[in-house]
Amino acid sequence: MLSALLLIPIVGAIAIILWPGELKAAQARAASMIILAASLVWVALLASRFDVHGSGMQFEEALAWIEPLGLTYKLGLDGLSLPLLAINSLLSLVAIYATSITIHRPRLYFALMLLINGAVAGAFLSENLLLFFLFYELELIPLYLLIAIWGGARRGYAATKFLIYTALSGILILGAFLGLTWLSGSSSFDFDPSMAQTLTLTEQTVLLVTLLIGFGIKVPLFPFHTWLPDAHVEASTPVSVLLAGVLLKLGTYGLLRFGFGLFPEAWFSIAPWLASWAVVSVLYGSLAAISQTDMKKMVAYSSVGHMGYVLLAAAAATPLSILGAVLQMISHGLISALLFLLVGVVYKKTGTRDLTVLRGLLNPERGLPIIGSLMILGVMASAGIPGMVGFISEFLVFRGSFTAFSTQTLLCMLGSGLTSVYFLLLVNRSFFGRLAIAPPTATPQPDVNLPPVAWSDRFPAVVLALIILALGLQPAWMTRWSENTTLALHQPYSVVAQLPRQQVSQLPLSVSCSDTADEVCQP
Amino acid sequence: MITHPASVDADIHPLESFVERLLQGDALLPDTETNVLEVVGILKSYGVVLDAYSVNLCYMADHQFLVLFPFFKYFNGEVTLQKLLKFWWHDRINYEYAEYCMRTMLWHGGGGLDAYLDSPDFAQRCEAAVQAKTRHNPPIRLLHKLCPDFLPEQVRMLAYTSALGQFWRVMSDMFIDLSDRYDRGEVRTIPDVVDHIKAGLVAAAANPITYSVVLDGQAYDLLPASAGLTFLMDAAVPYVEAVFFRGTPFLGTVSYNAQAGQIPEEQNRFEYGALYADPLPVGGAGIPPTLLMQDMRHFLPEYLHDFYRQSLRGEDDLRVQVCQSFQKSMFCVTTAAILGLMPHPADTQNPAEQQVNRDYLLSWMNRFTTSRLPVVQLG
Amino acid sequence: MAQFLIETSWLLPVYGLIGAIASLPWSTGWVRRTGPRPAAYLNIFMTLVAFAHGMAIFRSIWNQGTQQLIFTWFEAADLKLTFALDLSVVNMGALELIAGLSLLAQVYALGYMEKDWALARFFSLMGFFEGAMSGIVLSGSLFLSYSLLEILTLSTYLFVGFWYAQPLVVTAARDAFLTKRIGDVLLLMGLIALSAFAGSLNFDDLYEWVKTADLAPLTATLLGLALIAGPTGKCAQFPLHLWLDEAMEGPSPASILRNSVVVMCGAYVLIRLQPVVVLSPVALQSLVAIGAVTAVGASLVAIAQIDLKRTLSYTTSAYLGLVFIAVGTEWPGVALMLLFTHAIAKALLFMSVGSIILTASGQNVTELGGLARKMPATTLAFVAGALGMVSVLPLGCFWAMRLGMDFLWGDHPLLVAVFLLVNGLTALNLTRLFRLVFLGPAQPKTRRAPEVAWPMAVPMVALSITTLLLPVVMQQMSLLPPWRYINPPATALLVVSGLVGMGLGIWVPLSKTLIRSLNRPVRILQDLLAYDFYTERLYRVTVVLLVSSMARFSNWFDRYIVDGLVNAVGLVSLLSGESLKYSISGQSQLYLLTIITGVSLLGIFMTWSLW
Repeated sequence: MLSALLLIPIVGAIAIILWPGELKAAQARAASMIILAASLVWVALLASRFDVHGSGMQFEEALAWIEPLGLTYKLGLDGLSLPLLAINSLLSLVAIYATSITIHRPRLYFALMLLINGAVAGAFLSENLLLFFLFYELELIPLYLLIAIWGGARRGYAATKFLIYTALSGILILGAFLGLTWLSGSSSFDFDPSMAQTLTLTEQTVLLVTLLIGFGIKVPLFPFHTWLPDAHVEASTPVSVLLAGVLLKLGTYGLLRFGFGLFPEAWFSIAPWLASWAVVSVLYGSLAAISQTDMKKMVAYSSVGHMGYVLLAAAAATPLSILGAVLQMISHGLISALLFLLVGVVYKKTGTRDLTVLRGLLNPERGLPIIGSLMILGVMASAGIPGMVGFISEFLVFRGSFTAFSTQTLLCMLGSGLTSVYFLLLVNRSFFGRLAIAPPTATPQPDVNLPPVAWSDRFPAVVLALIILALGLQPAWMTRWSENTTLALHQPYSVVAQLPRQQVSQLPLSVSCSDTADEVCQP
Repeated sequence: MITHPASVDADIHPLESFVERLLQGDALLPDTETNVLEVVGILKSYGVVLDAYSVNLCYMADHQFLVLFPFFKYFNGEVTLQKLLKFWWHDRINYEYAEYCMRTMLWHGGGGLDAYLDSPDFAQRCEAAVQAKTRHNPPIRLLHKLCPDFLPEQVRMLAYTSALGQFWRVMSDMFIDLSDRYDRGEVRTIPDVVDHIKAGLVAAAANPITYSVVLDGQAYDLLPASAGLTFLMDAAVPYVEAVFFRGTPFLGTVSYNAQAGQIPEEQNRFEYGALYADPLPVGGAGIPPTLLMQDMRHFLPEYLHDFYRQSLRGEDDLRVQVCQSFQKSMFCVTTAAILGLMPHPADTQNPAEQQVNRDYLLSWMNRFTTSRLPVVQLG
Repeated sequence: MAQFLIETSWLLPVYGLIGAIASLPWSTGWVRRTGPRPAAYLNIFMTLVAFAHGMAIFRSIWNQGTQQLIFTWFEAADLKLTFALDLSVVNMGALELIAGLSLLAQVYALGYMEKDWALARFFSLMGFFEGAMSGIVLSGSLFLSYSLLEILTLSTYLFVGFWYAQPLVVTAARDAFLTKRIGDVLLLMGLIALSAFAGSLNFDDLYEWVKTADLAPLTATLLGLALIAGPTGKCAQFPLHLWLDEAMEGPSPASILRNSVVVMCGAYVLIRLQPVVVLSPVALQSLVAIGAVTAVGASLVAIAQIDLKRTLSYTTSAYLGLVFIAVGTEWPGVALMLLFTHAIAKALLFMSVGSIILTASGQNVTELGGLARKMPATTLAFVAGALGMVSVLPLGCFWAMRLGMDFLWGDHPLLVAVFLLVNGLTALNLTRLFRLVFLGPAQPKTRRAPEVAWPMAVPMVALSITTLLLPVVMQQMSLLPPWRYINPPATALLVVSGLVGMGLGIWVPLSKTLIRSLNRPVRILQDLLAYDFYTERLYRVTVVLLVSSMARFSNWFDRYIVDGLVNAVGLVSLLSGESLKYSISGQSQLYLLTIITGVSLLGIFMTWSLW
């Protein structure tokens, strides 16, 4: 069942590359869309068979691979990975749809896009640490090429920066995984929540911090974030959609699954620091976004801010906050994808993203009124206006985290206010006022004329906007898949509490919590 | 007569070249093939729309005299269910724009009509008509006693409604005629267009503007022939001044905030008219001329419609393109008016007369410095 | 039948929304060949339906008593979010007021906006606005109220931004949103805390919780202050009041609602929250302080304004200040009565103002004059609205102010003085405006001023009559006190304060040259008031400066420290150097890839050998 999610896009990618006859860009695009639609249907099929009441892994598959290495091909699906898989397929489809058919070297391009989709699906499904790592690395190379080949003017710099950062992230993650397996004396890399229980807290903490930095680069969290704005600015629109919508989620997924999932004790001991780190990341990202003059860079920095909420929720690790974290990942995926799509249309039509010159794009005849309206919807969703998915996910994050870290939560909420500051600057500068795409001049200029916007340009954005609204009005459609899993994720530390007494007392800073505890577990 | 402070600089005027052009018989709008096509085509559809406006204005003035709830004022007396449904679907000419122009004219005033409406002669005639109209309506009679300027002010508005209707009647016929001549190949250049309009204005110049309303079978002359109001000086010239030059500030582009002071205190410093207006925001919120552009889009001659379809945005920005063409055509109409009012013939050899002509034209150029004149030169 | 109407009462807020959605084909520009007016008719119809449905429910609960409807919206872990609708007489009254004023404002807009091709968008927003407001007054859950307040913030932004191409709108819409948003975020903080402390967010459960709540004084104070921050922003109270001034850039029919029922919604939530805010005496005192400062300050500022809409908008802030005082002193009845009576009178004043603006193409009071002779409906609306607002005759606000003074008489003489001062200053201001706008010789811009057409005149006259008959209606609903409960000295003082204000308004010289005095101290005072105590500048050197300098610092830090460090390591610049720059798909990339893959594989195999 699950392997299909890997096989469909990867086989598709190979087929597109190796297709014997001539393959035009439009054909390659159509083929990729069919492949991704199939994978989306497959996800829907899985979802229909998914037991929402179960908390463990479902549809598990296991194949021995390289036994001596402890590498097994083991896949599983739970409420944490299912929504992420869905958004992976959806946004990949959107990204392909948003790709122009005039793109050069179409075969390579679409094959790489499909490869990313498959690799990301693999990473979300992996139940083996090494397997996860392999997929994590596999996704990196196509993305690097996508930026380096189809990017903007400074693509070389941005792509290299991306590659170095992410490769470093991979090495740190690998190091942590190897360290964990080695220290725990296990012979297998198969994911097991109790793996780290025999380790001392110090060992656990060292490994956890390594993982945190590794995934923190990917999320990205301050101060490891500078690759992101550069990568976004140089990447083409579809790649940005994938990058912001899906790939960043690998980082937060890793934090939850492996950081919190493997090292709950160490996690709780450093949780206050994590929450404070989240505050810094949120406020820093939001403030940096305010002073950007490139639309895309502003949206990119907003990701730094909004992904910080996920860290806050993960740090708090209450049942509600973890659910909030999952929902926030999805909502950020949808909203940032929408915003990047819209910025992409603006750039395509006006040739600039410079907020100091763009004006009045809401103009109904010559401007981009529908794109502008969707942009207002997108930024309002991002700023957490009720009725859209951004609000309820932030609400769950804040409400869930408040009981654990009230000060940090309140500070993070300032980020919500700052979001409206920078996004209103964006909207009011570029969409309000008299239409202009160049600075005013002294000599008379002919009236601005922008190329028409086709419905095909608007269509993906409209779909995303409708999903944002639907999930905002009825968030249970989203949370029902994850609720039991997030509750179970929260269990590990009750497992700790059930350990034999003396074992707990061996840990100098160990955690003791009751099953029902909502409050933070103080050492 | 429109008079302006002729504060002509000693230095060369920035628009000096236009004076030369006008003296040589050229128009303010460059003479190009597309300009002719746009101007004639748009004036054709403008003519059709003006016809509808004119008919309705005259209908309102004559048959909706002091009707308190004129629900069917745009129906021209023909109320059927089908027409009602069409109106509710807003599938109709936007007569609101005609009223807007009328109110703009009324508000800015100027000319003999404005002066006559303040005369005791008019007050007397107006009172008689009001008495006749309210004879069977005691509450309104009471209101008229309490608020003696309420109804006369409405009658003044109706007088302007009628005057504008009469003015547009002439203009509509003139533009349709222009289009017919173009189709016959008699009009080929922009100066031809200007000549046609100038001739039309001159021919109608002395037409009387009168207004009388029939109440209970008796006619009440509100603008009698004896007032001596004429087409050119009492309707055309105030119209050009009010609609082409001054206009009213659009809520969609100008702040009404008193502290911001964006709207000049003196009405003669208003520069919101058709020759100044920015076509870009047309179609958007708070831009009344959108109504006119919307009306004209339905009556575009096929050759012009094709021309628009070939533009970058095709039909997406039709109203902006219509407005751009319309603005060009209004510069032609303005050229005709300027030439028609020139104190001496353009080709006069008398140096004194030449100087008078120059000063006259320069005083117009002063008003064009902030207009869209430089932009329409770009083609 | 009655039960069915009550069970479907959740439709009340939805009607507006349906109208808004049904207008989308026109507001998105999808329908191009015909005009947008069907959208307007649709919305007016939906409002009419809402009004009728509300009226039917109002009649049935008049006999049955309060009903409550509860819907569970979201449940996860220990969180349960329910939407409760409280159908009480007061709430339904407020709903009818909103629907009624919205109806009048929409008919009015049909005239005011007849030349505006974006009519459909305007009416969509009206429907959206009305739906959110109806929801707020019915809401029995703080969560729902908060959500709808945010929707109100959004729709205010969209309304103020209606004429988005107008230069001042660009900043006005932004500032309106951000100012309200400050209050909203603080309220959200309070909401989150309250949800964590009390579990449920339904008002009834919160009231129960308050009885046993045991919060540390500091926590209680912070909570109380956070809760009042939201309404402070919504009701345009100091220091979050500036948006209302700027919001006057929006269309007049929207201003009618904004100055009457929108501010009412903020106060309504505050009244619902008041039993929770009592946890913190500091918060209650802050309410009184905020209210008093705003009431007096805004009344003074209003007098110095030359902009017709702005001067009235400041009186809105002032009256809402009185509401804050009433809530802070725990007299919600006074607050409610003041809200209702003020809403009607203020809506009427704004209708009158709209018709003046349309006729005179301007709203500068120094350029107006002599309109009374020509515009009877507009004049009637202004006079009725003004009399309804100040306590000179026993019309609307008189009864509310009287009640307030009665309650405050013994314990809070200072607050009684605030009431008197606001009444006097408002009377002075409205008299001044009346003289400037309606009396005196006609000025160039009011020389030709025909009365507006019936779509605008009818709502004005209808609401004028309502205003004048309001005491009768209040009498019928037993809202007026019997004679023996009337406190003669208080009532006399109130009327005298109004009369003195009017007298001053009649006496004060209003020549154009005095608009800006030559006397320096007077001029400084005038400017201080005209520019709203320079609050905008205050914002600019505090909050705005703080955020913008922190933003610039972050950006600088990012570019030169964080990124600088990375680049200083040289790796990136080295690898992306000349060799890479010119080869898009060249070998160097392959080379790079090999390195990275190599490193990764090396990692695996190195550790493998360790095994």
